[in-house]
Amino acid sequence: MLPTTTQHLENHPVAEMYAEEYKAGQLSRREFLVRSTALGVSAAAAYSMIGLSPAMAGGHMVTPPMGGSLRIQMEVRAQKDPRTYDWSQLANVVRGTLEYLVESRADGSFAGVLLEGWEANEDASQYTLRVRQGVTFNNGDAFTAEDVAANFRGWCDATVEGNSMAARMGALVDPETNQAREGAIEVVDDYTVVVTFPASDITLIAGIADYPAAVQHRDLIGTNPLDHGVGTGAYRVTDYEVGVSARLEKNPDHTYWGDAYLDEIVFIDLGQDPAAWFAGAEAGEFDMTYETVGEFVDLFSAIGWTQSEVVTAATVVIRPNQNNAPYDNVMVRKAIQLAVDPQVCLDLGINGQGIVAEHHHVCPIHPEYAELPPLTVDKDAAAAMLAEAGHADHVFEIVSIDDDYRRNTTDAVAAQLRDAGMTVERTVIPGSTFWNDWTTYPFSSTNWNHRELGVIVLNLAYRSGVAWNEFGYANPEFDALLDQANGIADADGRREVMAQLQQILQEDAVTLQPYWRSLFRHYRDGVLNAEMHPKFEINVHYLGVEA
Amino acid sequence: MEPLSWSGALGPFLNPLMLAAVVVFVAGFLANTVMTLAGLRAGEMVVNPDHTLSLRRTPVDYALMSMKYAVLLVLACCLVYVVAGVVIAAPETTGIIGAMAARLTPVWIALVALFAVSITFKRKLGLYGKLFDSMIGMIGFGLVMFWIFTALFAGMVATHGPIDVISQMRNELPGSPLPSPEDGQYAWYLLGGDNLGRDVFSRMVYGSFEVLKIAPLATLFAFMVGITLGLPAGYYGGRLDTVITFIANLVLAFPVILLFYLLVTPEIVAAGVPNYLSLVLFIFPLLFLVVLFNSRYRTQPPVRNVIVSVVLVLGGLAYLSLISDKSDPDLPLLFRLWPEALDLFDIPGNLLIVFVSVVFVNSPTVFRIVRGIVLDIKTRDYVAAGQTRGEGPWYIMLWEILPNARGPLIVDFCLRIGYTTILLGTLGFFGLGVSPESPDWGSTINEGRRLLTIYPHPALPPALALMSLVLGLNLLADGLREESLRD
Amino acid sequence: MAFFILRRVGVMVLTALCLTFVVFFLTNLYPNLEKLAKTQGNARMTDTEVASWIDRNGYGGPMILRYGEWLGVMPGWVREDPVNGEWRGRCLERGQTPEDAPRYCGLLQGDLGFSTVSDDEVSNIIGGRLALTGVLMFWAFAVMVPSALLVGVLAGMREGSRLDRSLSTLAIGSTATPEYVSGVIFIVLLASSQAGLSPLLVEWGWLDGGTLFLGSARSAMDGPNFWNFTLPVMTIALYGMGYIARMTRASMAEVMTAQYIRTARLKGVSFRNIVLKHALRNALIAPFTVIMLQFPWLLTGVVIVETLFNYNGFGWTLVQAASNNDIELLLACSIVAVFVVLVTQLISDIGYVFLNPRIRIS
Repeated sequence: MLPTTTQHLENHPVAEMYAEEYKAGQLSRREFLVRSTALGVSAAAAYSMIGLSPAMAGGHMVTPPMGGSLRIQMEVRAQKDPRTYDWSQLANVVRGTLEYLVESRADGSFAGVLLEGWEANEDASQYTLRVRQGVTFNNGDAFTAEDVAANFRGWCDATVEGNSMAARMGALVDPETNQAREGAIEVVDDYTVVVTFPASDITLIAGIADYPAAVQHRDLIGTNPLDHGVGTGAYRVTDYEVGVSARLEKNPDHTYWGDAYLDEIVFIDLGQDPAAWFAGAEAGEFDMTYETVGEFVDLFSAIGWTQSEVVTAATVVIRPNQNNAPYDNVMVRKAIQLAVDPQVCLDLGINGQGIVAEHHHVCPIHPEYAELPPLTVDKDAAAAMLAEAGHADHVFEIVSIDDDYRRNTTDAVAAQLRDAGMTVERTVIPGSTFWNDWTTYPFSSTNWNHRELGVIVLNLAYRSGVAWNEFGYANPEFDALLDQANGIADADGRREVMAQLQQILQEDAVTLQPYWRSLFRHYRDGVLNAEMHPKFEINVHYLGVEA
Repeated sequence: MEPLSWSGALGPFLNPLMLAAVVVFVAGFLANTVMTLAGLRAGEMVVNPDHTLSLRRTPVDYALMSMKYAVLLVLACCLVYVVAGVVIAAPETTGIIGAMAARLTPVWIALVALFAVSITFKRKLGLYGKLFDSMIGMIGFGLVMFWIFTALFAGMVATHGPIDVISQMRNELPGSPLPSPEDGQYAWYLLGGDNLGRDVFSRMVYGSFEVLKIAPLATLFAFMVGITLGLPAGYYGGRLDTVITFIANLVLAFPVILLFYLLVTPEIVAAGVPNYLSLVLFIFPLLFLVVLFNSRYRTQPPVRNVIVSVVLVLGGLAYLSLISDKSDPDLPLLFRLWPEALDLFDIPGNLLIVFVSVVFVNSPTVFRIVRGIVLDIKTRDYVAAGQTRGEGPWYIMLWEILPNARGPLIVDFCLRIGYTTILLGTLGFFGLGVSPESPDWGSTINEGRRLLTIYPHPALPPALALMSLVLGLNLLADGLREESLRD
Repeated sequence: MAFFILRRVGVMVLTALCLTFVVFFLTNLYPNLEKLAKTQGNARMTDTEVASWIDRNGYGGPMILRYGEWLGVMPGWVREDPVNGEWRGRCLERGQTPEDAPRYCGLLQGDLGFSTVSDDEVSNIIGGRLALTGVLMFWAFAVMVPSALLVGVLAGMREGSRLDRSLSTLAIGSTATPEYVSGVIFIVLLASSQAGLSPLLVEWGWLDGGTLFLGSARSAMDGPNFWNFTLPVMTIALYGMGYIARMTRASMAEVMTAQYIRTARLKGVSFRNIVLKHALRNALIAPFTVIMLQFPWLLTGVVIVETLFNYNGFGWTLVQAASNNDIELLLACSIVAVFVVLVTQLISDIGYVFLNPRIRIS
């Protein structure tokens, strides 16, 4: 299937307002698309609202010929309950079987997959989801509103350890029972579900388009999809060897509701070393990379592969954890921030492939980004501040994963801290064990994927006590402001609050967040619809190879 | 500033000369091979009827001679590069090779002095002196001493610090000038910059210190453990022998790489395993020294008491300092008993575990060698003579048998340092090394390997350095073996 | 002879028991179990949750008993979940009760356990991986042994000659080049489209794109051929070759100075015949034992090469198991490794006895 068939609202009052802002030059086209499609306006309609041809909504998608086989280089990790996914790779394999309600596109717009469309009310506190008709699971059951409601209830279940969907559901979760709020999810008829928030919430659509939101059968919520293989997608997983490969083939016993082109997709795991990926590419072992990093971007292009680039809000944070001394002292954190020049991290870490960031984890491509005064780098002031805090001779140990860009970025930070007279030790932990403690290392680096809105990241990572708050950051004032921001559908109104939030993060020196990454992917000639996605998504239904 | 070329101003003269020499060598080699296959032989000495000797030259001889002179010519050119580099001392003129030679000046001086003294007095220097009779041994010894001196003078030889970063110099090619050199800063990266903008040449030089700090010491400890256990096992035999041999075979049957993966992980360090191992392993050197002196001076109690107590106090202090680390609260109580004031030094957990593992892996092999030699030597007459003189068993083992076993042991010592160097590199390769930013060769090779296909220059120098050191050690061992066999 | 082999087998079993216990001990240390709990359960478990996870999944209790369970001499653990009454146990499939399941399930029953990282039975994993490594080893030996013997014999038959000196230096050079050095050099020279030989060949039109050899052996897992298998095989073979060659040279040189060879020479037997008919057999006894003892050394090489060239065989599995603390997979790997070491030792001893006419076992 190609997503141009989806039906959406043709109009929305707030979207009209955004269109005016776009025309007045206050919004970029991308920001406009993110916001208006999140409100239920179709991408085509959104394009026409701002006077562009709706044909552009289809992006670069072409219709591939039927048949063929494709090999993709990607890590193959142990599968589990989709709600607890912590890797996009896990979702990419099962995406052939388990589909999503909504997907986000490379251009920032949202499109329905298992939903035909959705509408938000004026203050974005109630969403009407219209379920696609004629979709069946591969065990023969019809896909209905009951399945959607069951999945929503599963996502809201905050008692499940590691369920990161609960954070994305926001106010739908009753903080007392840790389950979905009474009456929040309502099945109107077989193909309509209404979701009601106590206050307005603009992140819902982005939340259900994220990779842990794979839709399971209503009776199979919380199970590992490999154990049953039940889903609405066109493919089935035939082999799954962790660390080696996974194979999908078109399911002959299932009538898929849309179109799927390839007969077979093989995911090949070549480990985490980009040098090994490149060797594999030179040896002709796969047709498409999951991601190409650093110097290897130029290398892959040099051997004649097609490059696909997308500017994103993906980043790396090198953060102290405030639950550990001396990082509970804001002066120590401030000193660290003062000593590090983000430009150096950008150059050494990712070969300059990105833009400099400002330590507050809100990206200029986010619609609500507020511009703050530029940061200063002053190594002498950093040393003085550290001495004043009484930690001048503290030995800072910075942990990173053993890979290419994260390790190099962290090394660059270590070198700059040393330049400022600090004593720094580096610890490098292999990828297989690094993630066991990633939220609790005293001082370590972590990569964060692209999110469509700035508030989504702040909700996921900086709110007090949430699962992925690796900073140990707890600030009631910040939380209150964030709640406020979550309720403002209007862009400029939210930007004022965002300015305060960003400023608080900078003043509390919560993290070093030196750059935003551009993401790259390479594929051989003849591979179709394999463009890089800002969140690394690979939808195997779209892929194809030239005959 | 202009980037340096490899050979500088001398290049236009010397390079064609060297190229010609190489061509001659290859031609000579081919001619030699073809003629040998065709059945021609090199000329032999012929005794003439008038009792004079004459050498009949064949074409093969001329081919061989041309090869010999070609090699000498190449060597001479290299020498000119080095000497010119040291004398002129202007990198712009002498190029990268000359500049490196100039930085290595202290090493050349030390090497020349060492060889001059050794060759002058070689007849008085025993086995060491005999080394200078063997070409192979001399080359090996030269290579090894080159790296030892480089390690010793690392501070003078290196142009930059091992972890100094100049971000603009990232992945720059050999000979690149610094963008804005400060006063007193060396203005070039002689062998280029690595992927973080650190100087490859300096890291290689400091890396030699890292490698030579651990490998020989670990090998020495392995030898003390192996000897302390191997002597009684071979001498007494019986149940003692059976038990120790079984344990040694146990360790030997363990695939080295599996053992390292089991030992050198953060969790094992956290559990205190390296400390327990060092508790056991490091007692052997102490034991060895005490028994050594005790058995020697047993007949003179006053002297013995002084020497043995000095050894006990110094060795005991070192031992307790080594195994204790009061500053680490995670360690079991046993290792935190020793008072901080008397704790001379603390070794970080990951260095200790690497060291202990290397000792642990090497000692059983040493044990087997020592045991084998003892089994052989103990049947000799002089051992029986010692026994009849009433000498104690430990005196016989340490002062009669051990000195006579020194030949094979010294040879094995050299080989084993090389093997340990390779082992340390293996650890670095799997990211189990000493510390992630350490300039040691194994870790540097592993880092450089990632970008090898575009930038080979960060990975090749440490790889060649490691190869040359191990090659030197092997050649040295070979020379020593040859010379000790002639005894 | 039978008694000798029997005793050796006895020692072997004892050694294997000791070694697996050491592996068991090291992998079951508390910090390792904690790591396992956090990987399998949840990265943010508290200390009490970790303790209860360890207990619930059968990693609690005295280590020696659990080792017994793994061996199959102790009954496997069973526990009833207090919440939903479901039975869990070492020998239980999902949904089984203790009555339906076997009491013992360990090594002796042929059950190698469950691999936590691969989410599969160990026996399903290890077989295929071993076969892959077997292929690699076979070719490495097929290259290494004949070339090493040839170099050794040629060098040893005229000790001190020019040929000897050049071949010996070559052999020493090869022992000084560990796999991780030769592997990277091979890749740069032969399997890179940016450096080394391949760009030149493409320029000259001898190669249409790509590289001469393949720098990744992934495709060799399906079908090894000259282009994808040469580099891994050469990398392993090179390091081991020098050592065997030097042993052969030493042995050959010793034989060539023996009395009977001198006699044969004096009798006027041609040099070729002396080498081929008289010296060779005796000179190959020592290298034979060395070749057999080379197996455990090769294992390290295999681990490095399989990692470097991405060949998912036994060595690669070992690295994965060790770095993820996959206890039962690691134990299975060490069983295999120890078995290989001990069997080759046994073969080397027996072979030595058979080959050497001077040794007879009474």
